[in-house]
Amino acid sequence: MATAQLDQESAAWVRDLESDAPGREAAIARLHALLLRVARAEAARRGTTIPERGRDEVDDLCHQAASDAVLAVLRKLAEFRGEARFTTWACKFAMFEISTRLRRHAWREYRIEDDERIWDTLPDTMPHALATLQRTETLEFLWRAIREQLTARQRQVFQAAVLDEVPIDVLADRLGSTRGAIYKVLHDARRTLRLAMVRAGQELP
Amino acid sequence: MTHDPLERLLGRTERDSGCEAAFEQFDRYCDAVLSGRDAAREFPEITTHIANCAACREDTEGLLAALRQLEGDSEK
Repeated sequence: MATAQLDQESAAWVRDLESDAPGREAAIARLHALLLRVARAEAARRGTTIPERGRDEVDDLCHQAASDAVLAVLRKLAEFRGEARFTTWACKFAMFEISTRLRRHAWREYRIEDDERIWDTLPDTMPHALATLQRTETLEFLWRAIREQLTARQRQVFQAAVLDEVPIDVLADRLGSTRGAIYKVLHDARRTLRLAMVRAGQELP
Repeated sequence: MTHDPLERLLGRTERDSGCEAAFEQFDRYCDAVLSGRDAAREFPEITTHIANCAACREDTEGLLAALRQLEGDSEK
């Protein structure tokens, strides 16, 4: 991969963080402070989605996220090509670390619904995502397609991620999988449902 | 983020990068947004992924918000 010309600030960060740099410890401390600010900013931004009883633990999560993000940045430093600014590149690791922790924290009492009988009949009260569908015919078609055309795994992931709005990294954690693998299951489930709608002459967005 | 309930359920049909490829390019995507470039045109697969994946959308919004805050602080 080609290396872009580093801007002055990015070049200084990379130079100071290299393993034999004389001021490396100070640069790592500056990086940690920067990533901790990002983690705390994100925790504050999501304040309303964190249950009140869990807020005391949130600052600990920010520290853990910043520390793990620093390790990720140092581990991947040789891969940094300067295609984005160094601070943007480094901050995405902090965002990934704090975001995953906050979602798992917020959903820590969630248990995956594993009762396939829910698909036997159209319920009186729809999950929010389905209740917004105005066209009853589409709703009934989709419910049948979910039951008849998805695999059990696809149904489980589609129900949790789309109908119950469980974040996919929380699902990955519960199912012993990865975020990318769970997203692939969801993607394939959606494609199957879209295809079923096209074949049945249903209107798609 | 779409308001069409069917699109929210079934996702967009355009090519979708997936979570891992999106993460690899989030920094470039965010720099493009922050510098006022047409990020949707430069990164169409990431744009579709962000529309389809709630977790990656939340992460992108968070990263953009944090970077804007850092830029604002450094200008003070």
